[in-house]
Parts: sequence; C-alpha cells; structure tokens
Amino acid sequence: MSGRRSGSGVSSISDDQITHLVFKLQQLIPELCARRSHKASASKVLQETCDYIRNLHKEVEDLSDRLSQLLASIDTDNDQAAIVRSLLM
Amino acid sequence: MRSPFSLKQEFLKKWILGLQRCRSSKKNMSIFERKKVIKLSADVAMASARKGTTCWSRALIADAVKEGNADKHLAEKILGPASERQPTEKVPVGAMAYNKRIRSKKILKRSSVIRRTIKFAPQAARPSSIVKTLVGKRRQILRSLIPGGEFMNGVSLIEETLDYIISLRAQVDVMRSLASASKLVNLN
Repeated sequence: MSGRRSGSGVSSISDDQITHLVFKLQQLIPELCARRSHKASASKVLQETCDYIRNLHKEVEDLSDRLSQLLASIDTDNDQAAIVRSLLM
Repeated sequence: MRSPFSLKQEFLKKWILGLQRCRSSKKNMSIFERKKVIKLSADVAMASARKGTTCWSRALIADAVKEGNADKHLAEKILGPASERQPTEKVPVGAMAYNKRIRSKKILKRSSVIRRTIKFAPQAARPSSIVKTLVGKRRQILRSLIPGGEFMNGVSLIEETLDYIISLRAQVDVMRSLASASKLVNLN
C-alpha cells in the first residue's frame, strides 16, 4: 500500500490536467460560456459538449442542403470565393 | 496557438479544391448528389487542414476512403492523387496503399492510445471523481460523436474533442459565409 504513495502524486497531476481541459471545453461551448466565472461540473460540460457537437453536425447538414440549392454548379466561381475570402480576412 | 482565421482560410482553400476536383460530373448532378459532394468535400477539407496532426482528422479521412464505404470513390476524387495527399506515415503509393494505410493508421492510433494509457496508468487504477465522469454513458456518446473516438481515452479524448469542436466551428462559419455570399451574388 505504501508503495503506491507516488501513484497518488501522478494521479493528482492528471486530475488537474483533466480539470483544466474540461474548463477549456466549457469556454468553447456557448451554453456554458456565460458561466465563465465559475466552473460547471464535468458531467454537465460533457453533456453540453455532446449536444453542441450534435448541433454543429446538424448545422453542417443544413448548410450543405442550402448550398446545394444555392450553388447551381459545383464550380464555386472566383467571385464567390473572393467574397468569402474577404469576409474571412 | 493556431489562429482561427488561418484555419478557415486553409479549410476554404481545400474545400474549393475538392469541389473543383468533382467538377467534371457537375452537369448531370441531382441536388442530392450535389449536397453529398459539398458535405463530403467540406468534411475532408476540415480534416486535411489538420495535416494529420490529430487523431480525429486521420480517422475521418481513413473512414472516407475505407473499403465498403459507399462514397469511397467520391472521397478519393476529392482527396486528389495520392501523391498530393498529406502523408500520415510513409506508405507505398498504389492499389494496396489504402488497405495498408488504414491498417497502419489503426495500429498507430492504438499504439498512441496505449502510450498515453501507460503514462497515466496509476491514475487509471484509482479513478478520481473527475475521471469518473469520463466513464460510462456520456463518454460513450462523446466517443461516438468524434471520428475515431472509439480509440481515444481520457485526456486524449478531451484534447481531440477540443480540436474537433474548433474545426467544426470554423467549418460552419465558412459554409455559412459562402451561403450568404451566394445569396448576395444570386440576387444581383
């Protein structure tokens, strides 16, 4: 048992690491962003993360639908690309 | 820290390149086909913008060109000639390359997961309260949402999730910009 002493040191480091990563996740998710001042529970963050990813997937699907209607041809011509680039700059 | 703007530009560049590679069959494409091409080239562009540095991006591309995938040929067209693809490890170019690549990618992923698990092995023996939330149903759901998630665990799962969300957001932003830009152009 005493031989495992050093083990607890390592586990608290990775515990901090995980806490920190979970906090970073929290900052990314708009639902939880408002609560920046204090940390949400890890399980709540995970739950919101899953919901958020699902939402993002759905948005990609919807945008692909819209784009397939808007873009008469797959050839996104230079005008559109230029506009988008300037929007991104 | 990678700037979000350069990520978007990288994604846009690769996406348009992928779309242009599918140009030849555009004339007779149904809306459904078009949507498939748009979405697939967007996903592939997002993954290749990471240049093989993350697990999810490698897994996404590997899945796209996997044997038995209905859209395998489309994905290969989008990715372009093998010589232009981002190499994740040295593989011979040729017919056997795809299978070998997928198998070696799986081995690579597994070994990196093992390496990480070994590093944190003492912790795994006694899960802390935080780590406890990472087991069970929610972790399974998260893993199912991220490409290649089944091979990830613990810290790497969260790191991959962070990167995946950032990439997804960039993808959505660019697609949305293109949609509004297209509307503007079409209205004129």
